[in-house]
Amino acid sequence: MAKVTLTPDSGFTRELMEAGGESLKKCYQCATCSVACPMAPANQPYPRKEMVWASWGQKDKLMSDPDIWLCHNCGNCAELCPRGAKPADVMSAARNVVYKNLVGPAKFGEWMSSPKGLPILFLIPALLWFIVWAIRAACVGEWFPRVDGHIVFGRIFFGDYTIDPIFMLTFFTALYILIKGCIKLWKQFSKGTDKVLTLGPKKPWYVHLVCMLWEEIGSHKKFEECEMGPKTGQPENSRKTGHMCMIVGFVALAFVTAVVAFLHWGGYVFPAIFMHTPMHLYNPIKIIANVGAIALLAGLVMLTLRRKRLNVKFTSSNYHDWYLLGIIWAVTLTGIFAQVFRLADAVHCAFVVYYLHLVFVWMLFAYLPWSKLGHLAYRTTALLFTRMYGRG
Amino acid sequence: MATKIGVYFDAANIGGGLDIDVLEEGLKKKFSSECPVVKKFAVLADNADAIRADIEAEGLDGVLIVGPSPRQDVEIYRFPVLTEYVNLRMHAVLSYEEPDGSHPEPGKPASSLLQQIATDYINMGVVKLLKGNLPDSAALENGVHRILVVGGGFTGLTAANEAAKSGYEVVLVEKTDVLGGACNNIPTASPLHSPWEDKEAVDIAGRIAQVKSNSKIQIFMSSTVAKLEGQPGEYKVTLNTPKGEETLEVGSAVVACGWTALDSKYLESMGLGVSPRVMTSAEFGKKFLAGQIDARRIAFVLDTTIAEEVMLKQEAEEKAAAEAAAQEAAEAPAAPEEEGAEKPGYVKQSLETINHLRYSNAVNAVGMLRLANEVCEKSNDVTQCYVLYKDMVVPGILERFYKKMQDRLGLMMTKAEVTGIKDTGDHVVVSCEKTLLGMDFDLDCDLVVLPTGLVPVSAKEAIMQFQYRQGPEFPDLELFDGYLDSNYICFPYETRRTGVYAAGCVRQPMTLDGCLLDARGAVLKAIQAIECAEHGVAVHPRSGDHTYPVFNFVRCTQCKRCTEECPFGALDDDEKGTPKPNPGRCRRCGTCFGACPERVISFANYNIDQIGSMIREVNVPKDFKAEGPRILILACENDAYPALDMAAMQGHTWSPYVRIIPVRCLGSVNAIWISDAMSKGYDGVMLLGCKYGDDYQCHFVKGSELCARRKVNIAETLNRLGVQPERVELFELAIDEADRVTDMIDGFVKTIEEMGPNPFKAM
Repeated sequence: MAKVTLTPDSGFTRELMEAGGESLKKCYQCATCSVACPMAPANQPYPRKEMVWASWGQKDKLMSDPDIWLCHNCGNCAELCPRGAKPADVMSAARNVVYKNLVGPAKFGEWMSSPKGLPILFLIPALLWFIVWAIRAACVGEWFPRVDGHIVFGRIFFGDYTIDPIFMLTFFTALYILIKGCIKLWKQFSKGTDKVLTLGPKKPWYVHLVCMLWEEIGSHKKFEECEMGPKTGQPENSRKTGHMCMIVGFVALAFVTAVVAFLHWGGYVFPAIFMHTPMHLYNPIKIIANVGAIALLAGLVMLTLRRKRLNVKFTSSNYHDWYLLGIIWAVTLTGIFAQVFRLADAVHCAFVVYYLHLVFVWMLFAYLPWSKLGHLAYRTTALLFTRMYGRG
Repeated sequence: MATKIGVYFDAANIGGGLDIDVLEEGLKKKFSSECPVVKKFAVLADNADAIRADIEAEGLDGVLIVGPSPRQDVEIYRFPVLTEYVNLRMHAVLSYEEPDGSHPEPGKPASSLLQQIATDYINMGVVKLLKGNLPDSAALENGVHRILVVGGGFTGLTAANEAAKSGYEVVLVEKTDVLGGACNNIPTASPLHSPWEDKEAVDIAGRIAQVKSNSKIQIFMSSTVAKLEGQPGEYKVTLNTPKGEETLEVGSAVVACGWTALDSKYLESMGLGVSPRVMTSAEFGKKFLAGQIDARRIAFVLDTTIAEEVMLKQEAEEKAAAEAAAQEAAEAPAAPEEEGAEKPGYVKQSLETINHLRYSNAVNAVGMLRLANEVCEKSNDVTQCYVLYKDMVVPGILERFYKKMQDRLGLMMTKAEVTGIKDTGDHVVVSCEKTLLGMDFDLDCDLVVLPTGLVPVSAKEAIMQFQYRQGPEFPDLELFDGYLDSNYICFPYETRRTGVYAAGCVRQPMTLDGCLLDARGAVLKAIQAIECAEHGVAVHPRSGDHTYPVFNFVRCTQCKRCTEECPFGALDDDEKGTPKPNPGRCRRCGTCFGACPERVISFANYNIDQIGSMIREVNVPKDFKAEGPRILILACENDAYPALDMAAMQGHTWSPYVRIIPVRCLGSVNAIWISDAMSKGYDGVMLLGCKYGDDYQCHFVKGSELCARRKVNIAETLNRLGVQPERVELFELAIDEADRVTDMIDGFVKTIEEMGPNPFKAM
């Protein structure tokens, strides 16, 4: 007599289908996908088992499955699938459902999962920054002010009292939610996985983390491995390079932000290091910022073109994919144009674009736990988990 | 009997350095009066008209084509006189090897041994013609152009419609009082047309209306066949109708009486008949059609291992009990047989077993996918259907249908071993093991649907009630668990009663697309049977053969071997046991004449004396050591002979000491031929037949098997005469086993060489 009573839930299956896995019912469990996948471990390989769980609406199984995060979405499985079930898309859809449901408030997950939620997601920061703008405009007495003939965004969006506290609050809230999500995910993984005997000396978690970060981010080795499958064969550089550029861009911009924040707030304690913004264009920090922005742009172009070129017969992009690319496009373009308009001294355009920039940046950070960008935390958690359990 | 034979050499098909002029000389010397025309052509196929002119001018009554295989260019050499072939190409030239196994050098003149082989074969060919006759006709003056269709289900209705459309009258007999059969109980059907994807409406009402409105179709409701007598083209059928017996003339018959559901007792261990929440797919279809299904969680269980194991155990117990009883009975004194007790008439044994469930698995797989999809569709996937299968058997193009049915949100499938079905009073718990989900689990269901076993009606009833000597039933049905299967790998629809064709689920469980094909195919065969009877030719497998067995009743001893051994029940007999041939039922295999100890049966162009004379025509040298042994090969012309041809074509060669004579079937090999060969001085006889046993390939069901059995008797005779019985051996050679020919023949020749000469050789 079996111990478990299975409760198939076609509602969950429907959710997966709506999240980008609409072909999942076509699977007939031949397991070609598991054989084709260059990344799947020999022991209980994916994505065959995920496909049958998906079809049977096994929400718990799928949500507590670290394997969906091992998939790097090369599409070998989809190209070799004899039924057109697109396992890669189903894995991606499963991740999307995690983004949607892992952490509350549930409304955000819902809004983030379809274009229908976009207006409200946009309106929240738009309103927030408009209020800031309106209040400051009242204080300064002008909606589009200049300082000594120059455009200084700080005149309206004053760092100390507006941008910094709002963003710090946003950032740390998002971080808190993200950490909460990771802990929840870890617990789910532990519950769903039987302890696996790991052979050889056990490594501490931080060693695993460093190794993993090197393989995933430092060298992007996994992307290459992923694409060395039987079908694609040749690594597709646009994906690896694109993703790498994006990361370089983000890291550079995060570094610049951190330096500026440190010098600015540190300047209050040690006036010697206090730095005024905007920086001069030849300031090394500024150079790093601009190089980062260019890398981001290059990465964006590559990844967007790649997605455009995908053969929809095998794999297609879902809303989460496009939302993330879209929001980064918006942040990058508004960031660059804000600077361009500032230098060109187009005061109205500069302020409006800068305002939009703030809106999009806020969207990027605030909604991070429910967006595909959440993978930087969730995937890290999953990869760390699988490594510690001797898998992947 | 041919007396003026024209012999035509086809140089293009001979080759091998053979001196045709010498062969011609020899022929003219030996058969100067019998063969007035001997000609050689470079390419004979281009000169068929020259032969025709010779027949006309010289009044030839026999033509001998020397060179090509009789399986080659047959269309070209169709003459109004007796025509035979000498297959020098394959059996002398291409297959030739020296006695030591080496191959002759190309371009060199033929060795004397090869020349001798050719001479032997040519002489045999001439003798064959001299001893053969053109058949007279056994054609019916007027065949009855009416087809009996038994069964008014989907297959029967289709058959009736198709036959009527082809211009034949139809007698449609339905046992119940409604037409439509099983189709009345299914909501929609699996696809019948391209692109073979979606469910299709059967439109059974439309089909019934079409049949009813057709003036060529006569319908008998609530009727069965009481008896069928006669032969194709002139059958007489008696029907049991509500108004009493009715006798009609029909030309041939299509049996489409379908199936009945397997008794629920076989699935009792899975809850059928025990729990109201467990039913078969057939019942489910009926209820669903009536709108009585409101279950939300439905398990479709295709794995019936539980029931099979229970039945297996039960069978073993029953067998043990029967054995014990038999032993007891043996120990007890035998009850004295009652005087004057009437011999019981034919009693039909039910052949229903749980095996019918397994045979029906493809139909059930397709049917359950269809039903599950339909239930989900109707409830917009609120209903969840769990399809639990051990084997998902979806044959052929229905793979497309499978794809489409599977692509439904509420339909969930997994391979599983269903280990238990338990009714808790509120719902049913289905336990599954070894599933694709990577775990064993229980499923709570509101309803469990089990497969339906399609038991052919022929497993339970003698449908046609033949008034044949061999009984009212189709023979050997138990070999097929009662399915009226064709028994032939190459000929669907055919039963072992010529002129009666099976179609639809009575033949094998099939989906409606199969039934449609079957109905059409069987009607075509039924029409062919009538037409062939009118032309006096065999239907199959020797299509178009004009000959039929002729009996010399003067010498018949009424031993009944022929009437009993005929695989097709073609021979009836009178009270004294004298056989009464029915040429229309005969398939011309010659099994009867192989069986006849008095040799009273013959065909116009194939008889005991003819083959015997051919055997004697071979030059058998006395000097075994210097000139080698001689071995006779009697080869079945359906499998072994083509295999020999193919072997030669593929470059396989064999000993120059063998001489091959084709026979219609090993079943037609009469023991006298072996005696002829032995007294002539042959050192061995190879009987090359088709495969027999479970996967037999015999066109005539059991020819080579019969021959193997008769060989035992032959061996006894040989033993008595002081000849080693090992000199006569039977080999099974399938048509695709050309690569085995060399080893088979050369191996036997070697055995004979080791054995030494036939003791009769010197006499």
